[in-house]
Amino acid sequence: MGRAARIFLPVAASCLIAAVITVRLPLPRVALQRASPERSDGGKPDTTYLKPDAAPLKPDTTHKTVLLSRQLMAEAGVNVGDVVTLAADANGTRGGTFLVAGMYEPVPDPRKFSAKRLEARLHLPDLIALTEDTNDPGSSDQVSALNLSLANKQDADAVASALARRVPGMTAASTSRPGGLDDPFAVLERFHEAIAIVTVTGSTAFLLALMVMRAEERREIIGILRLMGIRSRSILVEVLLEGLLIAVAGAIFGVLLAVAAQSLVNRFFQWRYDTTLVFVRVTTSIAWKAVAFAVPLGVVAGLAASWTLLRRSVVSLVRR
Amino acid sequence: MTSRALAWRTVTAERSRAVLAVAGVAVIGALLFDMLLLSRGLLVSFRQMLDTAGYDVRVVASEAFPIRSPIPEASPVAADVARLPEVRDVTIVRTDRALVLIQGRGPTEVELLNLTVGAERRVWRLTAGQDLGPRVRTKTSSSPAVISRGLAESLTLAPGSTFRLRVIVSGVASALPPATFEVIGIADFHFAAANEHAVATTFDAFQGVRGSTASDAADVILVASRPEVESASTVAAIERQRPDVRAYSNDEVVARFDENGFAYFRQISFVLSSITLGFAFLLVGTLLTVSVNQRLGQVAALRALGFPRRRIAAMLAWESAWLVGVGGLLSLPVGWALALQLDRILRQMPNISDELHFFVFEPRIAVWHLGLLAATGVAAAVYPVWIATRLPIAATLRLETVS
Repeated sequence: MGRAARIFLPVAASCLIAAVITVRLPLPRVALQRASPERSDGGKPDTTYLKPDAAPLKPDTTHKTVLLSRQLMAEAGVNVGDVVTLAADANGTRGGTFLVAGMYEPVPDPRKFSAKRLEARLHLPDLIALTEDTNDPGSSDQVSALNLSLANKQDADAVASALARRVPGMTAASTSRPGGLDDPFAVLERFHEAIAIVTVTGSTAFLLALMVMRAEERREIIGILRLMGIRSRSILVEVLLEGLLIAVAGAIFGVLLAVAAQSLVNRFFQWRYDTTLVFVRVTTSIAWKAVAFAVPLGVVAGLAASWTLLRRSVVSLVRR
Repeated sequence: MTSRALAWRTVTAERSRAVLAVAGVAVIGALLFDMLLLSRGLLVSFRQMLDTAGYDVRVVASEAFPIRSPIPEASPVAADVARLPEVRDVTIVRTDRALVLIQGRGPTEVELLNLTVGAERRVWRLTAGQDLGPRVRTKTSSSPAVISRGLAESLTLAPGSTFRLRVIVSGVASALPPATFEVIGIADFHFAAANEHAVATTFDAFQGVRGSTASDAADVILVASRPEVESASTVAAIERQRPDVRAYSNDEVVARFDENGFAYFRQISFVLSSITLGFAFLLVGTLLTVSVNQRLGQVAALRALGFPRRRIAAMLAWESAWLVGVGGLLSLPVGWALALQLDRILRQMPNISDELHFFVFEPRIAVWHLGLLAATGVAAAVYPVWIATRLPIAATLRLETVS
């Protein structure tokens, strides 16, 4: 077996461990942060997600204007500049005609990632005119939700309580993650962590088996070194340094592999769900965590495999 | 000596190496097994849950299902459906959100439920007290209620206890007064989530607490077909009879949920299964390759003694089979134990019914699992076999002697 291959295999094993720790499949936490409260449902159109060729929503003297989501435009075969009918019922009786002023990409929302985003954005008066109930005068002044931007974000709970006291029946809640044990994203995170632990356990067995084979391969060399008078401790330090080098190289290679894989995974899921949601993101902290886990593991595996050899007698090592 | 026996001796000669390899395959195989269970677990479990109650068709107001959209005049619709020759049984289900108010405690949110009289046993299992029914009587003048076990435990309620309940009216200011209920029974609700509390009551009490005695709306009408009738025929008959509602068989409900809600876990399962298989392939392939490389002299000697190439290939294939076979078989119990833990983690998600599981065992999954591992073992043995069978005998022996 070539020298390059002998070095490569343990490096590959360490790299797999690092890659597995780094790539944790769809973990939409990062995406959740991107879908900021200011841009949640009911908020003003977010120019960040407008296509460059989309015209901004502005009053039109001849037609009311509307923005349609990319998915809706593709589904309905509509182009910018077309006139479309939007109605609140299937018969089209409570509807009106609108000029499609532009196309937008819906704000990625992990809670809606499996849903088709067939959406439209209208001016509030147009939406109310479309949906109001003529038998209910109050319906012309109704909205589904109001988004508040607080001067001090820490006051969210106090503001929610104050609103609940002043307007009975209204629900006010903070848009930040609840962070409870049953938060779906916290549950998914724990699930992915459990998967990562299992995979690392399997790869550790893999790494140990390889290290044992590698140590066995060098039994005679170690025997000769000891016959020459080199102390076990010096040989152990050499094994330690060698293991460290291999583990560091493997961990770095693993992180690079994970960085390359994140693009593939994101593309696959973005294609599958027709969304711009980011499912995997290899952050610096995750990369460091992977390195911090993989390097000691590689070193310990190398030491454990060599330790049994160093405890044997010199005669048995050189097979005499 | 046969190739199988020779392979066994080779594997057992290096016990620590073999144990580590088998452990690696067992753990990776367990993960593969779990991902295969996850790929269909929710669907199978959901289907089992739907079938438990014995209804095979669900009638709803519109195609927006599962988004809640009440059927406005539910009783006439149910009566029309019940008259169909394909139908054996019909149950109207009405639900609402409500708060249970007990002095000295904060309000507790519950699911308020009403079913057609006689259908109770299909939706919940009574564990204490008496059930709702035509002859139900309370000790006080309060309305009767059967409550979920979790609610009874958290609020220390027992048959005979009373509580006040107010319906939540979302989106508008509401001054609906609370009504007083008496607990007549405690039950396990089949469709309730672990963290969800339920209160079931009679139709009159349900209408009374909602302050809408004129309303006959229902969330869903459950239909059981006659045993000899296919669900699809019942669905077609209902839609012919009442074009203003939509009917879905359990198969269609499962397909709809599969499309909208469960695809995520299938995708995770697909990606992780692929990675796991690749991992197992690398693991076994690398171990066999390194093992063959360390025994080149031995293989060359066997060839020089007259061992044909196919016996060498068979020996290596058996080595792979021992490692993957033993590891694969071990991976089944390990995987099942792991699946129970992963299921426990995922079931912490909100609104997951007690009867819904993410990992569900099916015999065909075990067959798939062992088949995939076997294919991986064969693929992993290809390269080492190629090395061993293409070995130049004389050159290898000379190299071994010199070294």
